[in-house]
Amino acid sequence: MTATVVPETATSATSAPRRRRYRLLVPLGLAVLLLVTTFVLRAVDRPDADEPGFLSPVATDDDGASRLAEALRTQGVPLRRETAFEAALRTARAEPSTLFVPAPALVHPDLLDDLTTLPPGSRLVLVEPSRRVLAELEAPVEPAGGRWAARAVPPDAGGTPCRLPEAVRAGPAAIDLQRYAGPAEVDSCYGGALLRVPGRVEVVLAGASDPFRNDRIGEWGNEALATGLLGGERPLVWLDLPEPAPAPTGPSWSPEPVTGEPAPAGSGRADRPNPPEAADPPRENPLWGAFPQWFWALLVQLALAGLLVVLWRARRLGPPVSEPLPVTVRSAETVRGRARLYRRAGARDTVAGTLRAAALDRLTTRLNLPPDTPDDEVAARVAERAGTDPDRVADLLYGPAPEKDRELLELARELDALTRTLAPHPSEGDLR
Amino acid sequence: MTWRAGLLLGAGALTLPAWPAPFLGVAVLTSAVLLLVLLDRAMAVPPDALTVTRSGERTVRLGGTATVTLHLANPTDRTLRAQVRDAWVPSAGAHPDVPPDRLLTVPPGGTATLPVRLTPTRRGDRPAVELTVRSLGPMRLGARQRAGAPATPRWTLRVLPRFDSRRHLPEKLARLRVIDGVQVTRGRGHGTEFDTLREYAVGDDVRSIDWRGSARRADVLVRTWRPERDRRLVCVLDTGRTSAVRLGDEPRLDTAIDAALLLTALAARAGDRVDLLAADTEIRARVTGSGRPALLARLVDAVAPLQPALAETDFELIAAEVLRRERQRSLVVLFTALEAGAIGDGLLPVLPRLATRHRVVLAAAGDPVLNRLATATPAGPDDPYAAASAWRALAERDRVRAALSRYGVTVVDVPGHRLAPAVADTYLRLKSLGRL
Repeated sequence: MTATVVPETATSATSAPRRRRYRLLVPLGLAVLLLVTTFVLRAVDRPDADEPGFLSPVATDDDGASRLAEALRTQGVPLRRETAFEAALRTARAEPSTLFVPAPALVHPDLLDDLTTLPPGSRLVLVEPSRRVLAELEAPVEPAGGRWAARAVPPDAGGTPCRLPEAVRAGPAAIDLQRYAGPAEVDSCYGGALLRVPGRVEVVLAGASDPFRNDRIGEWGNEALATGLLGGERPLVWLDLPEPAPAPTGPSWSPEPVTGEPAPAGSGRADRPNPPEAADPPRENPLWGAFPQWFWALLVQLALAGLLVVLWRARRLGPPVSEPLPVTVRSAETVRGRARLYRRAGARDTVAGTLRAAALDRLTTRLNLPPDTPDDEVAARVAERAGTDPDRVADLLYGPAPEKDRELLELARELDALTRTLAPHPSEGDLR
Repeated sequence: MTWRAGLLLGAGALTLPAWPAPFLGVAVLTSAVLLLVLLDRAMAVPPDALTVTRSGERTVRLGGTATVTLHLANPTDRTLRAQVRDAWVPSAGAHPDVPPDRLLTVPPGGTATLPVRLTPTRRGDRPAVELTVRSLGPMRLGARQRAGAPATPRWTLRVLPRFDSRRHLPEKLARLRVIDGVQVTRGRGHGTEFDTLREYAVGDDVRSIDWRGSARRADVLVRTWRPERDRRLVCVLDTGRTSAVRLGDEPRLDTAIDAALLLTALAARAGDRVDLLAADTEIRARVTGSGRPALLARLVDAVAPLQPALAETDFELIAAEVLRRERQRSLVVLFTALEAGAIGDGLLPVLPRLATRHRVVLAAAGDPVLNRLATATPAGPDDPYAAASAWRALAERDRVRAALSRYGVTVVDVPGHRLAPAVADTYLRLKSLGRL
């Protein structure tokens, strides 16, 4: 019945590669787990600019900015909170003022141009603007790398002297998260994390939201920096958008369209050959037009051909054949099981007693001693034959039960050595 | 359908740039290919029109190779192009000469022969399970295949035990001939049964001179003796849970079967009648020793499909069956294991009834691992526990053996590989002593 042996060897053969696979998989899995945990924790920890209440002057939670608003009010800065883009723009256009946009990503891309039409002498403060926002504003700067977490740096970090009096006054601030780079006329502070683009409208880019946030405004010079950037004698208009601003609905709302014409919604659907407008949400996928129509037909037909091949492979030539396997009971299974039970129960006294009885049985038979021989005489005779100390033999054969596994092993070894010298087995196979 | 259909469609896709309306082209090409597939499928030979038969060997010894041939006849007037898979159980070790992925072509009215070589890996009945025919059309685009068409011709290959102990048979037969007196080494057999009277020859024991016979004749006649003939021998195979334990690389049951076969071969040659009984909770096999010449073959055939069952053996049932069927005094050889639980609770209560009517020999294949565990030099912390457990098992075995001996049972307890010759020796010894 060699057939049933085959699975055993097969399992033992497959277990080794499996173990090797685990050896490879476990460290890799741990590394992946660590990375994923890090990313998730960072994503959770990082404030989300899209959330309502982010850097809002009325929000008192960790990523709100109520403390900043309070500080500004104490300094006597006239503060107006606007929750609609049009209203904010209208207010800011009344006089030269500071327009604070904590979440530029929420402003509709088509509307960003209008931020450049503020009256001269205005200041526009943007928090972590993306490359797209900067491009729409036509600011001559672009993102230049960033960090994992905001770091507090002195204003002169990065080797360039800071020319922003507010920053110099504030000292070190936790703003070094996203850095920007621009031409020489741009004032760069904190190693590029704070930029001022001079011009008709002064644009200030802050690389991190930390100096403005409730939870970190108290650290370093954060408060001084934030109030310095937003304060001054200009009134402050705070654009607090609770959700992404809607697209412009028509020209009526805008006092004067400045650059180009605002793209009306729904254009480009009527005539397809026109290059699709980049800012048109319901447009068709440009990929359709990128390839000729026969290419897509070819893809479809190849997919159908693949489906035919799949159908061919899916039809098997007859079902798999099953077979009941014979029962397999490993040899000496119960004996090994009992040994494990002894071990688990710590039955060292029983085990030692059994081993001693077995050894005594063999020794007395070998030395032709009657079964009722006194213990000390047996020990003496055995010691005489083995040429050892009778006390040691007596201790070995009749001594106390061992306390530890190591002592038990020692005892078993000595008994084995003794019986091996005095009463060797006639054969390994047969005991009697 | 086959891979060719997919390939055709894929090749057709390359013409699409030339079509004025490519998506219309896709529809046209796809329907054309599907139409071709359906047409081809309709032109294929229907599988249920085929007639399939089998021929070849019915039995094979374990380790040998048998050939079973499948005859696939095509009675239709179309050429058959087919892939044929003849599935046997995995342990049959089937290797078809024509692999299933090769295309077979049978002309109209012709017959294909598909030999399958079987090298079974296990004793017992190995059936053919499923025949699958995939009939392809002339273009090999479409195919017909249906479960159960054509019907699978039944065939079961019986794998007989290996009977490795055959090699001991010549030696045991030689010893039997010495006992029998056929081989002249001692002048006469030393049996107890009267055989014939013959003339005295120099060297004969004077004590065997039959004076009464000599008085009637001019010559001096001596009596010759022979061992008892026409004795009865019953081999009882225990197929219960203890027979499933592996000794080396085979279950204890296979060792027992091997020993029983050697004993049967020997006893049949010695002129004894052999019955066989295999049982666990019910009777699994039963062979009665009439029709002596084919006895061994019948016995081998009967024990081949035996498998160990995970159930406690019902010795009550065995004893009742033996007592019911064997009226004469017989030698009952019980192939089981010396295990305290099974023997003490099962056999010992019924043993007195059995032992008074019959002579009982208990043949138990011991586990060499047990002795190794008990006598090995301990190396690790687990070893003393294992040794103590093994000593305890050995002590239990001794107690069982002593209990059995009290009922006059002869116990043969040797490691598995020595069981067959040991049982044969016991039989010969009992025979020479006239204790059968």
